[in-house]
Amino acid sequence: MPADTELLHGTLDTLVLKTLAWAPRHGYSIARWIESVSGQALQVEEGSLYPALYRLERKGWIVAEWGLSDTKRRVKIYSLTPEGRDRLAVEVQQWQHFANGVARVLLHAEG
Amino acid sequence: MPELGRFSRELRARLWKPSVTDEVSDEIRAHLEQLEQDLVARGYSPDAARAEARRKFGNLASIEAECRDIGERRDEEFRRQRWFDEMRQDVRQALRQLRLSPRFAFAAIATLATGLGASTTIFSLANAVLFRPLPYTQSDRLLLVNEVTPEGKTFSVSEPNYLDWVGRSRSFVSWAAYAGRTVTLTGDGEPEQLQGVMATHALFATLGVTPLRGRAFLAEEDVTGGDTRVALISQSLWERRYGTDPATIGRTIDIDGSAHRVVGVIPQGRTFPEDVDVWTPLSPSLEYPRGDRRLDVIARLRDGVTREQAGAEMTSIAEELRQRYPVENEKWSAAVTPFRQAFVSPQFEMRVLALLATVVLLLAMACINVGNLLLARAAARSREIAVRAALGAGTGRLVRQLLTEATVLALAGALVGTLMAMAAVPVLKRMAGDSVPRLDDVSMDWRVLAFALAASLVSALFFGVASAWRLGRSGDSIGTLKSGTRLAPAGRTRNGLIVASVALATILLVSATLVGTSFLRLMGSDLGYDPSGVTIANVSTENSRYDSERSVEFMRTLINGVATAPGVEAVGAIVTPPFGALNYAQGFIRAELANPTRDGYRMGSWRVVTPGYFEAVRIPVIRGHVFTDADRESTDISVVINETLAQQAFGEENPIGQRLASSNGQVKTVIGVVRDTRHVYLDSLPNPTMYWAHAQFPAPSMWLAVRGRGDVVATLRAQVKALDPLLPVASVQPLSALVADRAAEARLTMLVFMIFAGAALVLAAVGLYGVIAYTVSQRTREIGVTLALGERPSRVIARIVGNGVKLSTVGVALGLVAAVAVTTVLRSILYETQSTDMVTYAGVALLLVLIGALASAGPARRASRLDPVTALRSE
Repeated sequence: MPADTELLHGTLDTLVLKTLAWAPRHGYSIARWIESVSGQALQVEEGSLYPALYRLERKGWIVAEWGLSDTKRRVKIYSLTPEGRDRLAVEVQQWQHFANGVARVLLHAEG
Repeated sequence: MPELGRFSRELRARLWKPSVTDEVSDEIRAHLEQLEQDLVARGYSPDAARAEARRKFGNLASIEAECRDIGERRDEEFRRQRWFDEMRQDVRQALRQLRLSPRFAFAAIATLATGLGASTTIFSLANAVLFRPLPYTQSDRLLLVNEVTPEGKTFSVSEPNYLDWVGRSRSFVSWAAYAGRTVTLTGDGEPEQLQGVMATHALFATLGVTPLRGRAFLAEEDVTGGDTRVALISQSLWERRYGTDPATIGRTIDIDGSAHRVVGVIPQGRTFPEDVDVWTPLSPSLEYPRGDRRLDVIARLRDGVTREQAGAEMTSIAEELRQRYPVENEKWSAAVTPFRQAFVSPQFEMRVLALLATVVLLLAMACINVGNLLLARAAARSREIAVRAALGAGTGRLVRQLLTEATVLALAGALVGTLMAMAAVPVLKRMAGDSVPRLDDVSMDWRVLAFALAASLVSALFFGVASAWRLGRSGDSIGTLKSGTRLAPAGRTRNGLIVASVALATILLVSATLVGTSFLRLMGSDLGYDPSGVTIANVSTENSRYDSERSVEFMRTLINGVATAPGVEAVGAIVTPPFGALNYAQGFIRAELANPTRDGYRMGSWRVVTPGYFEAVRIPVIRGHVFTDADRESTDISVVINETLAQQAFGEENPIGQRLASSNGQVKTVIGVVRDTRHVYLDSLPNPTMYWAHAQFPAPSMWLAVRGRGDVVATLRAQVKALDPLLPVASVQPLSALVADRAAEARLTMLVFMIFAGAALVLAAVGLYGVIAYTVSQRTREIGVTLALGERPSRVIARIVGNGVKLSTVGVALGLVAAVAVTTVLRSILYETQSTDMVTYAGVALLLVLIGALASAGPARRASRLDPVTALRSE
């Protein structure tokens, strides 16, 4: 696993919120979804995913309920709350602002 | 519908909620299983897949721990959030309910505020007087030690007896004796008369008070012949007169015309006795007459010795001294009393305790009345509650709702009540003046607020339980809904409560009337003199510049000068004014009966007066005549006595020309008999009193009594200044103010009882009205039926008013019986008033029955005017 594909610290929360904006999912499927949508460019560290989920739940941005997975296993399924949706919008904006800034610096033509 | 989805999720989460530990491990295990399956699908062997999944996941234990930690906090916050949400909802609901029935809300809050306001006020008073510790170290280990007169009253102590006590007793670690006197301070500005005390050196060590600056007295300073020209001053004097100058300690000040070196400053609030500004050393001497008792004594108990043991020891020491000195100590004993009594008399304590008991009654009444209001309301609301129960509100939730409502009421009541108390406390303080002990530092403090809060919460619980209990009885919610009518009223409970409330009101009113009557009799009691229009002022020549001859001469010149001033009708002087701080007393007996065994002496007050005093305060002369300017030191020693003393010493004989002996052996000729006066106690029989002529018994400090119109104070000041500019004129006040001060405790008690009586009357009336009005509204239909059947409205009125009268009569009857028992505790504070005064009882009974009739008149009239058709259609 190449180092440059590891998630920037803090962006995992945003990505989880974005994932759940599409549809409610359980933890494993959140990780796989991020990887597949990013074309395997982003690798979710399984170990940090769950603390992130509990954190988001505590903040009230996502809620969990028990349901069944595709494999009929009993799992916790997370979905986005209205507060989470608002939060996602804020974070997306912040990310764009940040990325634009980085891009402007990196692509700046000398002179 | 996201909201509904959220509710269903919450519902499910509540129905089935695994522990956080299970939640975390379940979730992570599911994750790992899926990861393994995926790896197997990609060609891993099961074992390799498991290992790879574990590796990819990382440190399982620490991740699980982190998740558990966050999860637990999440759940806790969620619970708290939910509790607050429900609480907010309950409070909002409660406020809405109260807004919907403003009359109920007003009645309940006013009732509670009355009860809590009154009780908080009285508790402030009790707190200041009874509970707040005295500002001395371990003041419960301090005792007052007194001699006891042959009549069994506590009395001051003679110097030799004091020294013998100190020598013989083993119960105490420390002793101190002191004697009050007024002192005149000159130099550094205007001459000033101050309260002073001569005290033995251990006074402040015994109290546990350390001087703010400098030191207390040294043992050698109260040895006769030692350097006794030292003084301690109070912090307030230090600040006021010496501008807090540190150099004051060590310098000399002029006390009564002689120089004293200031050695220390006593901190504010810890002076003893209170209001004293100057302390000088006292050296008790065995040479001093054993029969002259003028010291006050305090002592600190040795560790492990009880007050009773100390008292027993003092009694036996007094017995020894009686046998050793039979002449002076015949029939005298000794006793110890709690130190607190130096500040608060047992009688005043009794008054405050009586008030506290009254507070409990009033508070109970307020609780009962509000409880009754809530019960009536719970019944009226049983339908609403049944609907909410049917919609799925749990019993716990409903009870909590009712408790919240009660708490909101109680807190609102407490708030209004506290505001009332905050307004009332300064008023009480102003009315009581300086003459009620320890009341100058009454204030609302944290204990008072805590009391108000505790009382209101207890009430809340009481109401809450009451209405919840009511709710429990309406358990059959479906039945309630179907019936379409309200529940049958729990009439017996409410009637019982209102009867109890009326009974309590009866007790309160009887007590208040007794105390009020007693006060009126006290105020109306014949003083024997006429204080109105008389101004008194103290002029003291207690000063090295005056010997006794010059003192007498000064006083004579001053009085003659004042007497001729315009507007002055009469002027005279006396050694201590009526109800002044001191009572001078001495044993007396008719001279023929006097013999060395000293048997048969009785204690009488003595007063030194100038000839004009009797006329100035209008004490009528019954027989003979009073002093004239002809009574001089050189002439025969004469005495004027009052009727009681004449009766005690000479019976029915004519006392004029008879001879009266004092316990110090001096014999005087009786020249006149004057009316009895009350000058020591307002509320007991006049003391036997003898008056001596100032010319024959020159007292350096005298109180002038000036009767007249216009500015007699200015006249007096001008005259004193003209004679001697260094003499202060102190304590100028109307004589009637001294009499009023004497009655201050009684007046305070009376006023507070009157407030209670008013509050009780209002509460009883509101309570009766509430119950009758509610009953009538419950029976609207029934009344409509009887009216439709042709019953006369007057009959309806009679029945409803009859019900009110019946309830109040039962309450009054119970209350009167209880009052007979309860008011016996008032006996000690009643003056010429029987605690079973029939007129009082009958009057109160009549008043409350009348209130019962009036309270039911309104609802009855409304009922009689019901339109039968409307009434029948009502639920």
